[in-house]
Amino acid sequence: MRFAEFTPYDIVLLLQGLGVTVGLFLITSLIGLLVGVLWGVVRFYRIPVLMQLVTFVSEILKNSPVLVQLFLVFFGFPAFFHVNVTPVQAAIVTLSANTAAFVYVIAVSSIESIGRDQVEAARVFGLSRWQVLRHVIAPQAAAFSIGPLTALLVNQLQVTSLISVIGVLDLAKIGATLNLRTLKPFIVWTAVGILYYLAAKAVASLGAWAEKRLRAHSAFRGL
Amino acid sequence: MLKVENVKKAFGPVTVLDGVNLTVNPGEVVSILGSSGSGKSTLIRCINGLEKLNAGKITVDDFDVSKPKELAEARKRSGTVFQLFNLYPHMTALQNITLAPIEVLKRPKAEAEAEGRALLTQVGLGDRADAYPAQLSGGQRQRVGICRALAMKPRYLLLDEVTSALDPEMTSEVLDILAKLAKDGTTMVFVTHEIEFARQISNRIVFLEKGVLLVDLPTEKFFAADGGLAQPRVAQFLSKMRKD
Repeated sequence: MRFAEFTPYDIVLLLQGLGVTVGLFLITSLIGLLVGVLWGVVRFYRIPVLMQLVTFVSEILKNSPVLVQLFLVFFGFPAFFHVNVTPVQAAIVTLSANTAAFVYVIAVSSIESIGRDQVEAARVFGLSRWQVLRHVIAPQAAAFSIGPLTALLVNQLQVTSLISVIGVLDLAKIGATLNLRTLKPFIVWTAVGILYYLAAKAVASLGAWAEKRLRAHSAFRGL
Repeated sequence: MLKVENVKKAFGPVTVLDGVNLTVNPGEVVSILGSSGSGKSTLIRCINGLEKLNAGKITVDDFDVSKPKELAEARKRSGTVFQLFNLYPHMTALQNITLAPIEVLKRPKAEAEAEGRALLTQVGLGDRADAYPAQLSGGQRQRVGICRALAMKPRYLLLDEVTSALDPEMTSEVLDILAKLAKDGTTMVFVTHEIEFARQISNRIVFLEKGVLLVDLPTEKFFAADGGLAQPRVAQFLSKMRKD
């Protein structure tokens, strides 16, 4: 006989799935932010070769579907490099790289949005390039980029649902499983949707809080 | 001594400085006059190493600004005040002033802050130390800009049209401070359109025209009929400026 009723245990399953989703999101966002900012710094220093390489890799990552990247890592690594990757490893590699590519774009545009006059004002007083980056550019660029970064991260949170197709037991996968068992898609997907929404809302609120702090010196007060 | 020797600078096909020679001795106030586009600001930007020279040589106390290793030393000896202030908007007035002393001169933070506050008090902004640039008026911003340059204890103060973004009232706020600095013996290279003021505080006035240093005379002589005024271009410039 097929057991098709909801049970209290389903809530535990959903929360587990949410935990996997949020956990993977946090890890890949952290790696993506670090790598993306590092790439941005490479570009700031105009390091030859490395700079072109970074731009090339980021172009590829930005302009191809995450799902394709995921398959290439998950099936390609074992096939071509004879390295076995678990679904979770494949998910971490793919999502981190994808996030890094977009963080790189945001980092570059926000660094370049800081006027030449700021760089000059610091250079004439003898600050080194690193000191200019750290004390003058980075704080202003951070304030500038926090909005786009929050939008990116909220989106990347939803994108994590793609990893369910290679068998990671994330929130979307748990939803699919529950749906198959109960055949009550509207209830299951509504519950899953609400959980994604709450998680995304938390990310957005965190971003808004950070933006308020970083832009204390230049709060936008409307037109 | 600040020495500019036969400096040439071109932006693409446009020659901006064409063989400029200038010497500024410690204690002197040298004003640079000239119409817009004559190369005044570019000369300042060459002295503080923001522009590379095409030819010639600039030394600040014998440190050659064209040599990266000596540029750092040259920059420690000259302080720049910018036309558009160029304050760091994310830092308070005090932080703007103490950044370079702490990072470049490695001064202890408390000491740098005490000196920064003293400088702010000198320019009448003692109570605005914690204000951000956006919360200050133009004249106040430029006074912070002057403090930021003075905090490095420069031997030469480079002033690039520091009042041209200010209204007359704010201009006088800033000029009062410069007059005081001149009286105290601060060495200044003063690019300006404030001719009367330049006349009051300068030891020497130089006149730039299309990248060529046309006149370099003691102030008295510059305004004398047989001195600077003997140059038709200078006479024309001065009469136009006085009409405004």
